[in-house]
Amino acid sequence: MILLVVWSVTPFVWTAQTSIKFTRDVASKTPVLWGYETTANAYRNFWLDSDDVNMWGVLAFVLVIAAIAAALGLIGRRARHGWPWFLGATAVICVALWRFPRFWEANDEYDFLVNSVVVTLLTMLISLSIGLLAGYGLARYTGISGAVILIVALGFRALPRTAFVLPYFFGAKEIDEWLTSTGVGSWNFPLIDFPGIDTLQVLDTRLAIVLALVAVNQPFTIWMLRSFFIEVPKEMEEAAMMDGATRLQAFRKVIIPIMWPAIIATGLFTMLLAYNEYLFVRVLAPTEWTLPVAIVSLTGGESSRTITEAAAASVSITLPIVIVIILFQKHLVRGLGAGAVKG
Amino acid sequence: MSTVTLKNLVKDYPNGFRAITDLSLHLDDGEFLVLVGPSGCGKSTALRMIAGLEDITSGDIYVGDRRLNDVAPKDRDMAMVFQNYALYPQMTVAENIAFPLKLRRVPRAEREAQVRQAAEILELTEQLEKKPAHLSGGQRQRVAMGRAIVRHPALFLMDEPLSNLDAKLRVQMRADIAGIQRELGVTTFYVTHDQVEAMTMGDRVAVIKDGILQQVDTPEGIYGSPDNVFVAAFIGSPSMNLYEATLERHEEAGGDRYSVVLGDQRLAVPSEVVAERPALTEHLNRPVVVGIRPEHLEDAAVVADHPDDQRLDATVDVREALGAETLVHFNLSAPSVDSGDPDALDELRDSGRCTARFSASSTARVGDRARVNVDARHLHFFDRQTHLAIRS
Repeated sequence: MILLVVWSVTPFVWTAQTSIKFTRDVASKTPVLWGYETTANAYRNFWLDSDDVNMWGVLAFVLVIAAIAAALGLIGRRARHGWPWFLGATAVICVALWRFPRFWEANDEYDFLVNSVVVTLLTMLISLSIGLLAGYGLARYTGISGAVILIVALGFRALPRTAFVLPYFFGAKEIDEWLTSTGVGSWNFPLIDFPGIDTLQVLDTRLAIVLALVAVNQPFTIWMLRSFFIEVPKEMEEAAMMDGATRLQAFRKVIIPIMWPAIIATGLFTMLLAYNEYLFVRVLAPTEWTLPVAIVSLTGGESSRTITEAAAASVSITLPIVIVIILFQKHLVRGLGAGAVKG
Repeated sequence: MSTVTLKNLVKDYPNGFRAITDLSLHLDDGEFLVLVGPSGCGKSTALRMIAGLEDITSGDIYVGDRRLNDVAPKDRDMAMVFQNYALYPQMTVAENIAFPLKLRRVPRAEREAQVRQAAEILELTEQLEKKPAHLSGGQRQRVAMGRAIVRHPALFLMDEPLSNLDAKLRVQMRADIAGIQRELGVTTFYVTHDQVEAMTMGDRVAVIKDGILQQVDTPEGIYGSPDNVFVAAFIGSPSMNLYEATLERHEEAGGDRYSVVLGDQRLAVPSEVVAERPALTEHLNRPVVVGIRPEHLEDAAVVADHPDDQRLDATVDVREALGAETLVHFNLSAPSVDSGDPDALDELRDSGRCTARFSASSTARVGDRARVNVDARHLHFFDRQTHLAIRS
């Protein structure tokens, strides 16, 4: 057990150390493990792209905003009607982002961050929506075709990722060529007129990444949610229907609330997958990178200066995930432990 | 509140299994009908068909004059109590009970008043803010009841609501549920495999086996004159002793006398018993099924005043002193009859096994040779082929 912990933690500690070292220590032949001078230069370089900004001021500002948002969120959780507080928290964050555009306009990293967030959230949303409906259906339907769907889904999950990448790539390319050749791509849709997008395309968009990730991840969400749905006794929705609910109401008001821990657990796994994805992003979106791809690009060169920057970036992108997991770990454990629904 | 009529209800499962065959029943307004049968006899299926949770293969269900076959469960105005209660774990007791009202958009103030009223009837006032996980089995059962009574439905459906409780609580809840039902006067369809529940709770009892209705009658009627061997054996605990025996007639000057031959013993049958059942004479000298309830057997040492030809001799195998009475098991060397109850213990099918309910003052011990008085006026006769009662 201890060995296992050491085994998995050591590389991360090494990375974290690298991120706060001066380049000369990182580059030295004998590793400098203790007593090195620390610096935040790497973080400054990665996130602020300049040496002259007061980094601690920025950090303090971010922390204050985060604290205000968190406080509003906490009050919202306790309050009888939580939504005004949550709305307030969202507003604070939005205002902060809007008032301080000079960082994220000047710097590519923020595009990658936004890409990461968008891809992750969309993948989670689509994947969970499909997974919930399909998982529920497959849990309740016991016919032979249900079993076939499940086995096929598992089969696809078992195939290596690389088997999907090229077909997706060429598929997307075909669509793009069709869009261009027929002129559909340059139509103007009055209602979905995205700023900055002149032509519709699939390749090299966040859409392509999301679709590919959803496709690869769907078997997992369906299987996981289905196993949770099976744990929910059929009498639950029957009782709801006898109490006067439609099938949909029974699903929404009784089954989904019981399933929350499971949904959160499944959502977290999906989030991790989407957030950490490298291969699909690299192939399907040559320029619309997400953070992992951006980091790898830093390690490409031989310069040891970018090594510390890559390490700093790695640590930075890990933090949000760690925070989310800590916030939801109670649900995660409950979700994985399941069976708790039997009341 | 309303009447319920089932007309020739049939349920076939896709695999060809027929769960319910031609079930017809009628419940009067406010009546408590218990459907009882061994496990897997289709009684829950029948209940779920009434609830709308199970498709109807053929036949009709009416509440009042309204045909409900194609009405969604939510619109049937029925409340159901499930075997595992099916409480919503994420809601408090109050929210659980209020849920049906909430779905009907009852205003909050009225909702709360009704929940409080239901909680008072069920003695749940202290528990209203707790989650189901923190309640005892009996309390959960009452919450399930609360969810049913709060909306004053046309019909209560109860699917073995007491089977998850321990024996003592079950006895108490049995009385409570029956009391609440009588107080509210809501027509109730109650399903159980426990014949004691059926006898104690129901205004009428319907016995079902393999999806076929066997008999519907008051508890007394079912117990006193069962229609066939299965009902005879299923209702009553300990159950009726059933043997293959031969009925013989002895022509004498003072009128004919009758007796049954039980193995190697002979038991006189009072002539009025045969007179009440003229059809019995068609079975003379042929095997019939004879049933004797345990309480119609008594230790001859306790009650000496008994016709000598209405006695049997037997060796006591097992003695169970229950305080108020003593159950004595012995073996009559007569072939037993299989009633067809799949739940019956195999050892009870041992040939010739007989259970008697003796007075507590009986001193019969294991191994004793006992004389047993048989109250022959209460013998039951059944056709050996059809297992139907010979009554007329």
